[in-house]
Amino acid sequence: MTEKKQPKRDSLTNEFNQTMKPVSLWTDAWRRLRKNKMAFAGLIIIGVFGLLSFTAPILPIHSYETQVTEHQNLRPSFRPAGQLMIETRTSYFKQVMEAEGRTELNDEEKAEISSMEQSVQTNPIHKQMYLLGTDSLGRDMLSRVLYGGRISIGIGLVGTFFSMLVGISLGSIAGYVGGRLDNLLMRFVDILYGLPYMLVVIIMMALFGKNIINLFIAIALISWLTLCRVVRGQIISLKNAEFVEAARSMGASTPRIIFRHLTPNTLGVIVVFSTLMVPQFIMNESFLSFLGLGISAPMASWGSLVAEGASVMDLYPWQLLVPAISMTVFLFAMNFLGDGLRDALDPQSKNKL
Amino acid sequence: MTRFMIRRFLSLIPTVFLIITFAFIIVRSAPGGPFTSEKGRPPEIVENLKKHYDLDKPIFTQYLLYMGKIMKGNLGPSTRFKDFTVNEVIGTALPVSMLLGILALSLAVLSGVAAGIISALRQNSWVDYLAMSFAVVGISVPLFVIGPVLKLFLALKWKLLPTSGWFGGRYSWVVIIMPVLTLALPYLASIARLTRASVLEVLRADYIRTARSKGLSETVVILKHVLKGALLPVISFLGPAFAGIITGTVVVEQIFTIPGMGRPYIQAAINRDYGVILGDVIVFSLILVLMNFLVDIFYGFLDPRISYK
Amino acid sequence: MAMTDEPILQVKNLRTYFNTDEGIVKAVDGVSFDLRKGETLGIVGESGSGKSVTNLSVINMIPSPPGRIAGGEILYHGKDLLKMPKSEIRQIRGNKISMIFQDPMTSLNPFLRISNQMIETIVLHQGLDKKAAKEKAIEMLKLAGIPSPEKRIDQYPHQFSGGMRQRVMIAMGLSCNPEILIADEPTSALDVTIQAQILDLMKDLTHRLGTAVILITHSLGVVAGTCDTICVMYAGRFVERGPTDLIFESPMHPYTQGLIKSVPRLDRKSTERLSSIRGQPPNVIDLPDCCPFYPRCDKAMDICKRKYPAWKTFDNGRTVGCWLYSEER
Repeated sequence: MTEKKQPKRDSLTNEFNQTMKPVSLWTDAWRRLRKNKMAFAGLIIIGVFGLLSFTAPILPIHSYETQVTEHQNLRPSFRPAGQLMIETRTSYFKQVMEAEGRTELNDEEKAEISSMEQSVQTNPIHKQMYLLGTDSLGRDMLSRVLYGGRISIGIGLVGTFFSMLVGISLGSIAGYVGGRLDNLLMRFVDILYGLPYMLVVIIMMALFGKNIINLFIAIALISWLTLCRVVRGQIISLKNAEFVEAARSMGASTPRIIFRHLTPNTLGVIVVFSTLMVPQFIMNESFLSFLGLGISAPMASWGSLVAEGASVMDLYPWQLLVPAISMTVFLFAMNFLGDGLRDALDPQSKNKL
Repeated sequence: MTRFMIRRFLSLIPTVFLIITFAFIIVRSAPGGPFTSEKGRPPEIVENLKKHYDLDKPIFTQYLLYMGKIMKGNLGPSTRFKDFTVNEVIGTALPVSMLLGILALSLAVLSGVAAGIISALRQNSWVDYLAMSFAVVGISVPLFVIGPVLKLFLALKWKLLPTSGWFGGRYSWVVIIMPVLTLALPYLASIARLTRASVLEVLRADYIRTARSKGLSETVVILKHVLKGALLPVISFLGPAFAGIITGTVVVEQIFTIPGMGRPYIQAAINRDYGVILGDVIVFSLILVLMNFLVDIFYGFLDPRISYK
Repeated sequence: MAMTDEPILQVKNLRTYFNTDEGIVKAVDGVSFDLRKGETLGIVGESGSGKSVTNLSVINMIPSPPGRIAGGEILYHGKDLLKMPKSEIRQIRGNKISMIFQDPMTSLNPFLRISNQMIETIVLHQGLDKKAAKEKAIEMLKLAGIPSPEKRIDQYPHQFSGGMRQRVMIAMGLSCNPEILIADEPTSALDVTIQAQILDLMKDLTHRLGTAVILITHSLGVVAGTCDTICVMYAGRFVERGPTDLIFESPMHPYTQGLIKSVPRLDRKSTERLSSIRGQPPNVIDLPDCCPFYPRCDKAMDICKRKYPAWKTFDNGRTVGCWLYSEER
């Protein structure tokens, strides 16, 4: 029985030539995310939306606020506006004609049509195309949806960012310090949670005026609550972990422990919740705009566009459907991405909400 | 158990108190008053009006007077609807909203829980994927998109249901289908997802393994052992869900022209009708607080770890 | 210790595999043993050696994706448990073959009263009515050493301490007077002093009732005090099997020797170094055909790297899987 010399080997391969690759949380998560087709599709869709919204001012599209009265309420089409305009007017006249029992257009109507045709020949404006139609003031739906997206997504992102700042800081501090501070804060959170939040926001918007700042304040006021709770929960479960004791035994101060050791470990949860907060923000803002308490004309957000469209949906359904579908697709994509991120970052939660 | 209930009830009182005070402060700190938007009123009349509504007294006195009235259940006069008190304005509208809300909540809970359980038991089957995809739709699409779209198709294009209105008019009960459905959908979706996740998690628990190892049939395991634990998160969710539904009724009532609390509320906010605004907020908050209390008690019933110390 | 020679349970070449993203995990790869009436059999091994999976396989409770029983037979009184329909197996679980688990904190349903959880088994398997079942349950709790059982039976699990809960689990497991009790690390989650009490309780009750026991543990100390026979498990297979005394006296397999040597002893000089087995247990995915212990074995030979050792049986009831004892080299 001689002592066998152990062959030199790389720490990643054991004696049986089995490799054990070290994998960081993020690489592993990314790999899993890519496998999840819905989530990945969501990511791409968001990218596209984001790109379009961001570059909207430089894209070759119509302005979102120019009103061309003759071009009101045109259907989505590839054909030039002039033609559509004439066709719509003609079919309207035909309806009147039938209603009055005539078989021919009268002189006034004929005159109007020919002056329109004249105008179409001479005025280049009638050669424009409105791919997604126009609204009741002759504004291009495509650009309104894109600009509306800019506003909605922008509000979603900025709002989420601020909520994150507040929620994470307060949550971390409350969770780590514990005791009276924690109790007090959680009581406060509970009370705010119990309020019929949107109702309060409605009051605030109505009473304090409808500008964007108030909008932000109103929505951001309540949105940090869930994140705060979640982060606090994570911190509480982590703070008794051994690596924290180790840091403390090496003399790390409390803020250092909170921000350099504990918070990064909660990043997974933070990422997931933040991704899911953006659509909520967008929904809240749209909600307010729908009620007339959010964005004011001529600016548009998806919510106000849906409101405008809803009022005329029996006649011009595309005015409702275009913003509705855009918004829905975006929110869908964000929710799928959020779900996918959650599954990717915590494999055991594959079965979780 | 009874001690638990009493404790919970007692903690309601300061909460309610705080809410009323909070609402008072917010409403009164807004710029302008109920009479600033009406032009051309001679100042003496404005003074008189203010006196009539006690608005000339120092704010703290107004607060105390108000609290006093509340204790007696009197929400004060409305500055907009000059002939009505706030109690009357709310009195006719509240039952409508409550009915809408309760129906929606019931639909959401019953269908959501059922869907969640079925999805969990048939995890990764087509039933599961279908149900969960619908659920994501329900969560992503806002109420004010679902409502008009449903209206567009069901009422206008396919003419299956009436577009608007409420009971007492010329419509039968079918008129509530769309509003209730619209209001319930997002919460149905959330509850379904929550239930599914919760059931799946409980299924992996050690005590389920023990139950199976004792030879119990799968049906007994699920109905007796899994359900109780799995439903707890759903019960907790009922509180916030109800709050959301209250908010949702405002929109749904607008879309389907329902005579509930929604429209008057927004109008009151725009017209600075302090009486109605405060009254609405207080009523809503009280209902919410009561709901949360009931949810807590129910939770205590189900989870012995909370009520048996 | 009433033991007859007829085995009531015969496990033959059991193989349980799990399909994972990284490959097939052969958690149990060819395990065989017999259990006689009243015998206490201990299965010892490190974490990950496959002991718990062996247990769960016996009552066919392996979670089915991703796991499956890939081969072998489990004969209970001659009938193969692995081929039985679910309804038949359910009559055996909790009734003839009962199982208790490691963590008493999580193994009892926190939302149901103890009475409820105990009565359901008794009513199901023994056909008693609720009242009679409750009396039987109280009787069992008393045997298990729970004070004032009539009062405590209506309480909830969180109102019991850890040790008490494990007593409840034992009472519940033995309430239908099973032939076999499978105990999966019953004391690993408990304090040391309570451990001793629980082990004594188990020994006492199972002797009184004549129950055979399969005890899974990673602790040699536990095994030494309670088991008649020991099986040592490594990387999904048994490496040595035999009566407890003989194994402790003269362990044959180098792994067993290493395990015994690594137990700190009070009668040695305190300046001696603690001995341990060098290296790590292998990753059981895609193991090549060799002795899985060879990288850590001081006595490894050339053949150990190339072929899995043959199983050799000796007259005194011992078996070993090691090339050292095989005539073929």
